[in-house]
Amino acid sequence: MLETINLSKTFKEKKAVDEIDIYLDDGESVGLLGPNGAGKSTTISMISSLLKPTSGDVKLNGKSTIKDPSEIRKVLGVVPQEIALYEELSAYENLHFFGKIYKVKKGFLENRIQEVLDMVGLKDRQNELVKTFSGGMKRRVNIAAALLHHPKVLILDEPTVGIDPQSRNHILETVRKLNEDHGTTILYTSHYMEEVEQLCDRVYIMDHGKVVASGSKDELLSILSSEDTIQVQLSKSSDNLLEAIKAMKPVRRVDETSDGIRIISKKDSSILNNLVHAAEKEGIQITHFQLEVPSLEDVFLHLTGKSLRD
Amino acid sequence: MGSFLKKDLLVFWRDRKEVLLALFLPIVIIVVLNLAFSGLFDNDAESVNMNVGIVDENEHSTELEQFKLRLQEMDILEVEKEALINQASAIKPSELIVEFFNDPKLKEWIPYEKVSEAEAIKLVEEGDLDAIIKIPEGFTYDVLSSLLLEEDSSTPISILAAEQSMELNTLQNVVNDFIDTLNLQFALGSTVGADLEEPVLPQGGREVVEGVETFNISQYFTIAMSTLFALFIAQTVAMKTVTEKRERVFNRILLTNSNPLEYLMGKTLATFFLSMIQMLVTFAVTQLFLDVFPGKSLAFWVGVIVIIAAFALTVSGLSALFTSITLILNDSNAASGIFTMIVMSFGVLGGSFFPLQGLPVVFQKIGEWIPNGLTQTVLIKWIQLTSVQDLIVPIIILIVFFMACLVIAVTIFPRRGRV
Repeated sequence: MLETINLSKTFKEKKAVDEIDIYLDDGESVGLLGPNGAGKSTTISMISSLLKPTSGDVKLNGKSTIKDPSEIRKVLGVVPQEIALYEELSAYENLHFFGKIYKVKKGFLENRIQEVLDMVGLKDRQNELVKTFSGGMKRRVNIAAALLHHPKVLILDEPTVGIDPQSRNHILETVRKLNEDHGTTILYTSHYMEEVEQLCDRVYIMDHGKVVASGSKDELLSILSSEDTIQVQLSKSSDNLLEAIKAMKPVRRVDETSDGIRIISKKDSSILNNLVHAAEKEGIQITHFQLEVPSLEDVFLHLTGKSLRD
Repeated sequence: MGSFLKKDLLVFWRDRKEVLLALFLPIVIIVVLNLAFSGLFDNDAESVNMNVGIVDENEHSTELEQFKLRLQEMDILEVEKEALINQASAIKPSELIVEFFNDPKLKEWIPYEKVSEAEAIKLVEEGDLDAIIKIPEGFTYDVLSSLLLEEDSSTPISILAAEQSMELNTLQNVVNDFIDTLNLQFALGSTVGADLEEPVLPQGGREVVEGVETFNISQYFTIAMSTLFALFIAQTVAMKTVTEKRERVFNRILLTNSNPLEYLMGKTLATFFLSMIQMLVTFAVTQLFLDVFPGKSLAFWVGVIVIIAAFALTVSGLSALFTSITLILNDSNAASGIFTMIVMSFGVLGGSFFPLQGLPVVFQKIGEWIPNGLTQTVLIKWIQLTSVQDLIVPIIILIVFFMACLVIAVTIFPRRGRV
């Protein structure tokens, strides 16, 4: 098991990570969500031993990794947000170099390179220079380089940013296979909620350097169990009506959407009646009304006040 | 470490711009400089070649008689008169000039013919003559008055030409040197009472020492440019670290549990091989196409390779130091600026831009302790057939420089969490 205990990092009196406790059980797939600047990358850097924490600890199977990071490095694969490859080298040359310095045994390295290239679907392009690859292909090599030494834990920091749908699907499928078929423990950060929903058993939500919520998808959704999300389409838009809805007692938040308004309200049976009356008063017709099941995106919005892609 | 070395060499080789800069630019510069400066520095006979006409309007016997007559009229002792007349009879100024130009060595590059003034002017206009040396009427009388009676000279030799040129300057210098030598020797001769000796021919300002070969400007450019560009390789390889940091490849390397010093040594060795290749290619190509070191023996080339290897080692030490500094500094522009300043200072003080001899003595001494300056000095000495023993101390100094750089680089190489 990999865990952090009161892990903190301060840069020039600014707390980037503030006493967070997260854990990853063997074979688990865990999502780490948070808006930009929440402290996700700093957390990953500390877990992977690239950055020394200001305080707190990172433990691998109960043993601290701060003083001696060699053990965690043996079992950890990190896929950074950046394309951490030599653009002037081919995919094969990159993997050969990293395999060598990961000290993959000579007899096994060749097979392992072919295995990981096969896993990311680039076996037939292995001799081409990385700089000639598309963004998606580069990201796939980026993942392959982290898999060469058979890591037990794989940390992926937004591995699908800015790539085509085909590469994205390929990456998601690779991560899923690694977790389900090979038992690799996954820590996955992303801006795409659907990826985390699709891949992860549990989720941590970070904001301002702290973990603001954690648990399985259902546990997180239960945070919003006392609220309803209502999507309403109107015959025409009206500022007066918007103000009237905001003034209603159970309503917590009203957002304009491309095709109407979105209302987050405490569970209250009178809300529908009040809404119809307010619309009639303004001479506006409600053309569509839908009570939405809350999603993780709603939970995220509820907890951080920001959309995940802000 | 082999993986790091292979990676660094491959990354460098695939960067076509760097390869062009490192391997071809020094060669191109050497060729251009050779073409531009060969006329200025070449001291072979072919570089100055003038056809000169000597117009002698001097009437020696008449003027000598006039001088004797004047002596007779002077209020001095008879004994002195007799001595001066004897001396005057022995001096034939215009003949001395003609004899001077008759010297076979001088005739090779300044052939002359005796002509009348009108004929000379016509020949200059037609381009058959480059200049006229005119010995004016009254020259003998004037020279005798100047030498024996210490009167001011009022009838100088004149040199005429259609246009000003470097060759004309050379001719003026040759004639002036001759007159100066003549005056000096007469003064010495009259003091000690010796006979007038034939003046020494000027050698074009160049000292020729028997048994020692001189080095030429092409050789200087080859040595200076190759050492300077080798220094740039130290900077180029170190600055690749900036890219590795920026693109997080360096972090990925750290995560592999490999010893960070392997990374540093990879850069050091790569620089050694690259600067070695760069210098050898420069020497080989310039030798092949420009014949910069004509007729040199195998032993000479072995010596050159040894000196180059020692210098490449110091460049690799410098690269190690630059790499560590790059990792410490967060500002890559600052790092690049510092390295450029160091390399350029080495270039200036080490004599890569102009020969050390042109600098004040203090700078010359400093330059001889700077790796490229030291290497340049050793290579120049080696061209001049110095002994193998003379190479030992400079090579030891270069190795010590390498060791010092490497020790500092390892000491300041950042520990985990500081990069």
